[in-house]
Amino acid sequence: MHLDYTPEQQAFRAEVRAWMEAHVPKEPLVTLECREGYDSHVAWERTLASGNWGMVTWPESYGGRGLDLIQWLIFEEEYFRVGAPNRANQNGIFLLGPTIMEFGTEEQKKRFLTPMAKGEVIWAQAWSEPGAGSDMAAISSKAIRDGDHYVITGQKTWSSRAAFADWGFGIFRTDPESKRHKGLTFILFDLNTPGITRRPIRQLHGDTGFAELFFDEVRVPVENCLAGEGEGWNVAMATAGFERGLMLRSPGRFQATAKRLVELYRKHEAEASPAAREAVTQAWMASQAYAYNTYAVAAKIMAGGKIGAEASLNKIFWSELDRAMHRTAMQLLGAAAELKRFDDGTMNQWLEGYIFSLSGPIYAGSNEVQRNITAERLLGLPRVGAG
Amino acid sequence: MDMLLTEDQLALAETIRDYLAGTHGPEVLRRLDADGNRDPAIWQGLVDMGLTGLLVPEAQGGLGMGLVDAALIAAECGRACLAEPLVDTAFVGVPWLIMQGKTGQLADIAAGTVKLPLAHAINPWVADGEGTALKSVDPLRNLFVSANDNNDPYLLDLAALMSAAQLVGLADAMLHQAVEYGKMRTQFGQPIGAFQAIKHQLASCAVAVEFAKPVVWQAAQALQDGRGSASVHVSHAKVAATDAAMLTAETAIQVHGAMGYTYEVDLHFWMKRSWALAGAWGTRAFHLKRIDEAVLGGTLPIGPEHTFA
Repeated sequence: MHLDYTPEQQAFRAEVRAWMEAHVPKEPLVTLECREGYDSHVAWERTLASGNWGMVTWPESYGGRGLDLIQWLIFEEEYFRVGAPNRANQNGIFLLGPTIMEFGTEEQKKRFLTPMAKGEVIWAQAWSEPGAGSDMAAISSKAIRDGDHYVITGQKTWSSRAAFADWGFGIFRTDPESKRHKGLTFILFDLNTPGITRRPIRQLHGDTGFAELFFDEVRVPVENCLAGEGEGWNVAMATAGFERGLMLRSPGRFQATAKRLVELYRKHEAEASPAAREAVTQAWMASQAYAYNTYAVAAKIMAGGKIGAEASLNKIFWSELDRAMHRTAMQLLGAAAELKRFDDGTMNQWLEGYIFSLSGPIYAGSNEVQRNITAERLLGLPRVGAG
Repeated sequence: MDMLLTEDQLALAETIRDYLAGTHGPEVLRRLDADGNRDPAIWQGLVDMGLTGLLVPEAQGGLGMGLVDAALIAAECGRACLAEPLVDTAFVGVPWLIMQGKTGQLADIAAGTVKLPLAHAINPWVADGEGTALKSVDPLRNLFVSANDNNDPYLLDLAALMSAAQLVGLADAMLHQAVEYGKMRTQFGQPIGAFQAIKHQLASCAVAVEFAKPVVWQAAQALQDGRGSASVHVSHAKVAATDAAMLTAETAIQVHGAMGYTYEVDLHFWMKRSWALAGAWGTRAFHLKRIDEAVLGGTLPIGPEHTFA
């Protein structure tokens, strides 16, 4: 264990910091979950790409910089240090991208990864269906082979980014006779294909970040299938692992929130309760614990290891930490907590963040499902219903 | 920058785990409980494994290893609920002597002929010392009245760190016992561990324990490196490990039901050691205050770019 950065790593940090300080928008962008905010976040993706920062760990041939996971963590730390905007393309770069890297053909990598890194194509995910949420194996949307196309019919819901994005990915039942985890196929589709109707869903905060997708005999070329027909479940589980595990939520995000919480506490110290004070200290502790764990996981992967079901521990930890930190902030703000904008005109980002934090324990597989996975696959307890 | 525990470190910890699992099971705890708590044969076994000399420099007949190695093995001592004062003498006392430049006793410590009772003003007792005996809830702890005014901060940090390391091992063991009981005990026609009410509680323990471990290893490295902020990291480790162990102890007894309230089930040995170490070498409040002063007081740089400050 060596907890010092090399001169090269320090130089890389300085390079990222200088670029971020020069390019990050001075004012926070409007939420991604509306047209105006989406457009400004996509513009930011393209600014990032202009500096070649779209996805630093990918090979240069796919629009990346070929950097290792420690450099990626340094990049993320500097990204959140300056409060850079949320990534409009997170479904692409953090979830689908690594999945294509693992399962895609060379042609698919060339076709999809570079435009993703450059922010030219923004991706939505399409996992859940009205009858298949936590129980994703209950998926019923069909993709029936017809020559060199699949014909998709069915419905997806809670599709993040789908209100405005360009492309989507999800799993569909290609074998209509199949049940549960079998007969599913991972398919990528242009959201503007004829037969797709998007119905934005108004969320808790009043904006429309996710959408329902209706598929009415939508023809998608077979070359948009990732890995083999019928392999969809395994591919989706790998994607979910990326989502819950290392990439989607890097520690810098939570360390930055903890730091802002400390600053907020100092402003409200006179009227804050001892419990709130302890919660602020806990925020620092937990965000640091998450960072140490991520550095340890990165080191393990770089040494040739893999992440398995421990990704579920990760997902439980960051989502509940994020909610706890924002809850504490709301308590500290007191009567001002309900204001969308404070009396000085600045946005109440804690309120927005608190609302978003409530989705954390639900998306990417509810924390109840993560606790089942932890209990069954890490601890070895019997499966539900086992007698 | 590399947070990796090396294969050598993990292999050594596993060797010790296997050794203790084979020689220091619950039946040994019960024998010690009945026959006077300490057993020279167990101590000699630890000496023969080289553990008393783990941190003693090679020149004095030791293995010359570091605090991360020692913390990993202290966790194994916790897992086995080891009663002999190995951690105090070899993983706390030895580096404390070395820090003071007192190397005279090191060879004897490595050889197992000298033990170091650690007295400090923060504790109202000294473990494995002498004089007027005190009775601990932990039947395997030998405590004595201490009127010591030693306030050495490095001794405190070393001992708090190694307590934290033992606590994550204790927590691991209690979680394992609860899982095994949940698989075996049947009610309503199925193992109780198949019920989500049990699963989710145990999964929450797993989260707490797994996220306490890297805090402990990181603190060990910070103390080894002599980082200026090491005391804050040690306190973080003590609080995180204590919280994980206390949560796991309470969950484990609940999963065991009425059996968990008996002396017959082994769990109580681990639970009582956890209670003892939770308060030893600085209470939760003491350590929380040290973190609070650094983080809210502004003496420690915080934020994403200061992960290893």
